[in-house]
Amino acid sequence: MDIAKYREMFLTEAAEHLQNMVSLLVELEAAPEDRNGIAALFREAHSIKGMAATMSYSATAQLAHHLEDQLDNCRSLGQISSTQIDYLLAAVDLLEGLLQDIRQQLPERSVEAFIQGEIPHQGLELLESVSCSEDLDNSNLLIHLRLEETVAAPGPRLLVLLKKLEEFGRLLETIPAEENILQGEISRTLEVRLKTDLSQEQIFTRLQKYSELAEITFPPEQIVEKQRKQQAVTTTVRVGTDLLDHFINLTGELITNRYCLQTAAAERNWSGLNEGLGQLARLVKNLHHQVLQVRMMPLATVTDRLPRTVRDLCRSSGKEVEFVVDGASIELDRAIIEALTDPLTHMVRNAIDHGIEQQGRVRIKAWRERDQVLIQISDNGRGIDPEKIRQRALQCGLLSPVQAENIRDYDLYQLICHPGFSTVEEITETSGRGVGMDVVKTAVERLGGILMIDSVAGEGSRMTMKLPLSVAIVRMLLIESAGSLLGLPITRVLQTLEVSPAEVRTSGKQLVITLQGELLPLLSLRKILRQPKGQVKKLLSLVVTEVLGRKIGLVVDRLVGQQEVFVQGLPAPFDRLRGNNGGAILGDGRIMFLLDLQPLLEKRRKKEA
Amino acid sequence: MAKRVLIVDDALFMRTLLRDIFTAAGWNIVAEAENGLQAIEQYHLQQPDLVSMDIVMPEMGGIDAMKTILSTDPAAVVVVCSALGQESMIMEAIKAGAKDFIVKPFSDAQVLEVIERVAAG
Repeated sequence: MDIAKYREMFLTEAAEHLQNMVSLLVELEAAPEDRNGIAALFREAHSIKGMAATMSYSATAQLAHHLEDQLDNCRSLGQISSTQIDYLLAAVDLLEGLLQDIRQQLPERSVEAFIQGEIPHQGLELLESVSCSEDLDNSNLLIHLRLEETVAAPGPRLLVLLKKLEEFGRLLETIPAEENILQGEISRTLEVRLKTDLSQEQIFTRLQKYSELAEITFPPEQIVEKQRKQQAVTTTVRVGTDLLDHFINLTGELITNRYCLQTAAAERNWSGLNEGLGQLARLVKNLHHQVLQVRMMPLATVTDRLPRTVRDLCRSSGKEVEFVVDGASIELDRAIIEALTDPLTHMVRNAIDHGIEQQGRVRIKAWRERDQVLIQISDNGRGIDPEKIRQRALQCGLLSPVQAENIRDYDLYQLICHPGFSTVEEITETSGRGVGMDVVKTAVERLGGILMIDSVAGEGSRMTMKLPLSVAIVRMLLIESAGSLLGLPITRVLQTLEVSPAEVRTSGKQLVITLQGELLPLLSLRKILRQPKGQVKKLLSLVVTEVLGRKIGLVVDRLVGQQEVFVQGLPAPFDRLRGNNGGAILGDGRIMFLLDLQPLLEKRRKKEA
Repeated sequence: MAKRVLIVDDALFMRTLLRDIFTAAGWNIVAEAENGLQAIEQYHLQQPDLVSMDIVMPEMGGIDAMKTILSTDPAAVVVVCSALGQESMIMEAIKAGAKDFIVKPFSDAQVLEVIERVAAG
């Protein structure tokens, strides 16, 4: 049998079976006498055994067979114990390791010790890594470096270190890769596989000159493998054959359409041209729809991994948490799904760590509203205490005493996403939230979404992400400022309105209007962009949006309208322009720039301070 | 013999600050330059052991100046000096041959560590 041809297929399917096993095990932990669950688990192990045996992956087959035996036992008893669940989860981890060996075409790691019983899985891994590294060419050295948290420019620093390491020998592999660092991937760790004649000690001494390094270690082989596996996870996509058929049909129709148009053009047949163009519009729309379809993935891709996280967290914290996901079948663009993995995990973790006190429920709910997807993470824990945030914000200087007094709770909660707020470690103990919420908010906003936070003390908190379905094609609000055309993703716009200058009042130095009973500060876009002042008009056009956690009314020259546009990143050096998040060419050939207010206002605020 | 450094920065304030740090560390400041063009000229006149190069400057920026210097003297040791938030420019400079970098605002100790490291090779 031509193994290579089937390897990929085997790996993809086996990984799915393993993911199912984890989900089932976590469910069984809550209901250990669920016979159907145990039976389903048995079938998963059985499928893996069958596939592995066919492919002659003997260790994998052997382990799967062993699990089958165990589960058969449980099946006849009609229940599964928590020790067994722990054991089976460890077995799943080991199976994942085996799949990894197969993926990298290494010999399968040994499963004997695990099957014999008492040796815990981790011990096994260590044991193996030793024997593994003996086989390797001993001039291959793995180096793990971690930067101090205080290092101001981690990217450039890693780059300098890479250049230094290149002087020691030949770099076989680095994580992150140099090009990823150059593209702005932010990492504080660097894994390097180096072919060198120098000894560990010699390299250690030379690297010690860098006080920016918090950690210099030489880990055994497998740790890096693990990280590589994480990086490689999402490189392929499974597409149904029906979708591919659609593409072929569409391409065929497009070719026909081209001939129709050519003929009509040659004959100067205007009605024929018109008809052809209409057809073209329909085909392109259809194609766009299908392409988006390929990129769509269900939210389950992320949420299916969470029950295990919840379980492990409950174990370590001794809390009892019920975890519910509604709407896991909602589909989103894969880029969005990928970008959401960490924020979602983070929010769930936060809810358990800081929201739930002893016992409670964490719920993820996803639903669609027109061309947006809303994902909500809620818990019925203690909620966020606005008073503590207020105090903290005062301490950090994020609010002046007057502001602290007048700020509404909704705006107050947004402050937990302020980077200055969340990096203060002690706050995690006192106010509950804050760790990494700035990261969550940034991720959501980078996707063109909005993060909303609300909470009722004693009843729980709720974080809602409002996201576009797709990232590349975005519905934009087009606005005009001193003759230039700018766009704001519609997801970032809370409201647009026109007000008469008579409604504008001043509060301190700030121009404001009253909107739904609240004071809304007005900022002139011309002023922010340092464009010349415009003429006073009969009606002011306002875009109400949220920046840096505050609602603002952006005064623009003209609201042009809404349009779906294909956003592209700008090439260097334009990508360095502050406040600009990409551009798009509109149907009429005009160029629209995507407005990114946050950095512009941050700079302003710093200046004022 | 004292090591010789060329300080390049368009701001007098920064040059003064760096001059004091280098002097205290026993370096000999052979020249100062306010822009890339002057930097190239001074480099060829003085052949210093180290160049401390600001990135954003009028006339000619630090990266272009460094490239020119390296094209005639590939062994030139250049440390770029740039403000926080200009990571991509710093990385561009490192790719182009800068040995290390200093981020403004900096402390004396940070500057000293970097220059001693690159001076040692």
